[in-house]
Amino acid sequence: MVLATTSDPRSFNDILAKETSTSLVTDLIFEGLTTTNASTTKVEPNLAKSWDISEDGLTWTFHLREDARWNDGQPFTADDVVFTFNGLIYNPDIPSSARDIFTVDGKTFQVEKMDDYTVRFTLPVKFAPFLRGMSQAILPQHKLQKAVREGRFNFTWGIDADPAEIVGTGPFKLVRYDPGQRLVFERNPYYWKKSFDGDPLPYLERIIYLIVPGVDVGLLKFMEGTLDGYTLRGMDYPLVKPLEAKNNFTVYDLGPDTGSQFLFFNQNSGRNPQTGQPFVAPYKLAWFTDLEFRKAVAHAVDKEKIIEIVDNKLGYPQHSAMGPAAGFFYNPHVAEYDYDLNKARAILAAAGFSDRNGDGFIEDPRGNTVEFSLYTNAGTTERVDIAAIIREDLERLGMKVHFQALEFNTLVSKLTSRFDWEAVILGLTGGIEPHFGKNVWMSSGQLHMWYPMQEKPATAWEKRVDEIFDQGVQELDENKRKELYDEYQLIVSRELPLIYTVLGARLYAVRNKFGNLKPTNYGGVFHNPEELYMKEGYR
Amino acid sequence: MIERARHLSEFQIALRNFRKNRLAVVCVYVLSVLYGGALVAGFLSPYLFKNEDRNYSYAPPTPVKIFTEGQLTRPYVPAMELTFNEYNARVYKIDLVKKYPVRFLVKGDEYRLLGIFPCRYHLFGVEAPGRFYLLGADARGRDIFSRLLYGGQVSLSIGLIGVLISFMIGLLIGGISGYYGGRLDDILMRLCEMVMMVPGFYLLLALRAAVPDSFNSVQVYFAIIIILSFMGWAGLARIIRGMCLSLREREYVLAARGFGLSDFKIVVSHILPHTLSYSIFAVMLSIPGYILGESGLSLIGLGIQDPYASWGNMLSDAMSIVRIKFAPWILWPAFFIFLTVVCFNVIGDALRDCLDPMLKAEGEAQ
Repeated sequence: MVLATTSDPRSFNDILAKETSTSLVTDLIFEGLTTTNASTTKVEPNLAKSWDISEDGLTWTFHLREDARWNDGQPFTADDVVFTFNGLIYNPDIPSSARDIFTVDGKTFQVEKMDDYTVRFTLPVKFAPFLRGMSQAILPQHKLQKAVREGRFNFTWGIDADPAEIVGTGPFKLVRYDPGQRLVFERNPYYWKKSFDGDPLPYLERIIYLIVPGVDVGLLKFMEGTLDGYTLRGMDYPLVKPLEAKNNFTVYDLGPDTGSQFLFFNQNSGRNPQTGQPFVAPYKLAWFTDLEFRKAVAHAVDKEKIIEIVDNKLGYPQHSAMGPAAGFFYNPHVAEYDYDLNKARAILAAAGFSDRNGDGFIEDPRGNTVEFSLYTNAGTTERVDIAAIIREDLERLGMKVHFQALEFNTLVSKLTSRFDWEAVILGLTGGIEPHFGKNVWMSSGQLHMWYPMQEKPATAWEKRVDEIFDQGVQELDENKRKELYDEYQLIVSRELPLIYTVLGARLYAVRNKFGNLKPTNYGGVFHNPEELYMKEGYR
Repeated sequence: MIERARHLSEFQIALRNFRKNRLAVVCVYVLSVLYGGALVAGFLSPYLFKNEDRNYSYAPPTPVKIFTEGQLTRPYVPAMELTFNEYNARVYKIDLVKKYPVRFLVKGDEYRLLGIFPCRYHLFGVEAPGRFYLLGADARGRDIFSRLLYGGQVSLSIGLIGVLISFMIGLLIGGISGYYGGRLDDILMRLCEMVMMVPGFYLLLALRAAVPDSFNSVQVYFAIIIILSFMGWAGLARIIRGMCLSLREREYVLAARGFGLSDFKIVVSHILPHTLSYSIFAVMLSIPGYILGESGLSLIGLGIQDPYASWGNMLSDAMSIVRIKFAPWILWPAFFIFLTVVCFNVIGDALRDCLDPMLKAEGEAQ
């Protein structure tokens, strides 16, 4: 099977790196104790075959598979699990991105080995997304312990590593990496999973990822037949879909994507510690913290035309903080803002914004012209298009908006450390577990982008959202959890810290040569690589 | 006749030689049309550069009809309506029942003629709600023809202004360096080499990153000009310096020095004019570099920002194979960039050919 990716992995070390370009590789090689079923989105056993919970919900005992082996033939045991948590994730010398998830109220989980195939986790408090979090990849103790002991772990399994050293329990193993060209995976002969008929999995002998310099190159490679599958954008659909029958492939439309795109204003009332200057001019901060101002802007987002122009009508308007792809926790009953410039003008006028001096631009009650800069990252044409459309509508409302596409890293440093920005259009990938968005929604979060890392919540509604996330993570009853997270989505839609735009459709084109293909909205088309096989005649 | 020919100035001889090069003359006309068009863009274009109508996303060039049921009538454009076919491709349905006659000197968007006089009249156009896209529309239903004209203002002027600035710097630094020689020469030439050492496009990106993000579009425009001129002066300075090194030993320079003329005067009025013949065609040949520099920067989204048009940022829309396939007219800016660059190069070559005899003559005089 030949697929494509547009960027090189930054590392093969799953503990250190979490970019999509890395997880693409590590997802094939490593596995967790649990996994999420791509069709039902329920948590299912994986490396753990079963588990028991104590009455108080704090002690979890996992019974591991006894037939699982690392792809170098070594047996997989409880030592590896204990090592992954105590030796890596909780190791203060290792900048692990997973530590945040497995720390509640500043306390870590206690992980103990009971016997070779039993591990016990003791939690300080109840932690609802625990099982889903247990999909954390387990790494081999026998390969990595030495590096950890010698303090070399942070430089281990980088992209210069010998592929044979990268050992996992997953269905495939890395055999070759040519930077900028390709990644080659071969089937793991020791893989534990068997088919219904008892055949050893995986069926596919190898998976090759070609590294292509851009999405358009990938598209061309798919069209000429080099690639077996490709992720399409809405605008590619009219080109690819008509060729389905002739070129023997199928285009799957799997519904709304999880990634959201939104506009937000800087509501940071802090000051630059060096210069003492406020991050945002106080009179501008007054607009941005004015809910009526944000409501007016929300009414100026022409979602329908954005979908038509950017996605060739293959998109969905987004109103809620969690998209429809989130499934169970998605709340469709939130405040919606239709595209209506007259309504927006009326809201602005009622809030005291009007064109007093007749220059064509509106002023605030103190006579300051509403003027701000709007940034997005250069390079993603879709987002630049969305930004340009919104900018035009804001100008129709009488706002003077300076649009500027910045280099991605410049924009990130503005958002996370310099805070000297006014309005930004950005995207985030979403998931099905609301708690994993706590970095965005809790007022102390680093990704609470409109006012990050607050010492205490700046507004009443941010306080309430903090409470919801604190309660939600400890609520084990799914339905009560849903009520809580429904409320947070409602609050967000009313308070508009992020003004949502549109969601693209998840589109994939796959050549008709694979059996067992089970595309789902959550997992995409290739979520079960171990089960896929080449049909007769294509081998 | 012979008498008169003898009285032709150097410049006139050069001009006569230049006229003999037909291709170069054609190029001069083409450039005149392009610059002239950009100058009165507001009048020639039916719409303002930011006039958008989202119902006409990627509308094809509007067909102009002159027949109604076989009868010759005044030209009109039919109404168009956007629909999506079963493959989600845009299909424009032409509705011949609704007609919008093409009119001349129609009232439309307000613009400033030559940047000064407010005016509402456009050379041609149709009445709203009809839309007339001579060369098709872009993603948001803006007229590509109008945007090409407005974009020309940016793309064409950047070359001229940029070249002017960098040549003033180049001439001055080259002149000073060559005339004085010694330590000063060493320092200035090492500086030149430092600028030339960094690969052009990366230097461009690095300098662009140093421009404050809070700049508005006009400031960004000038920032880009300054960045481009900063990169362009070094090459010229080196050659001028070489020429000055030999010129400063000439008798007339020595004489001027003997009369006690100030160094600055000697450089400006006795040395630099002799480098002019080289400078003129060097200027011509380097203008395309500025145009391409701006286009490259805008193409990757770091130059002129939407809604303002430049040929480069219009072309960034055409970076996707799918869009070119369904709306090939978004490639028009590429054609104009190509045309301009070729014209400048042809003219530059022709100028070199006709100025060359004089360069030779100067060489012989030594």
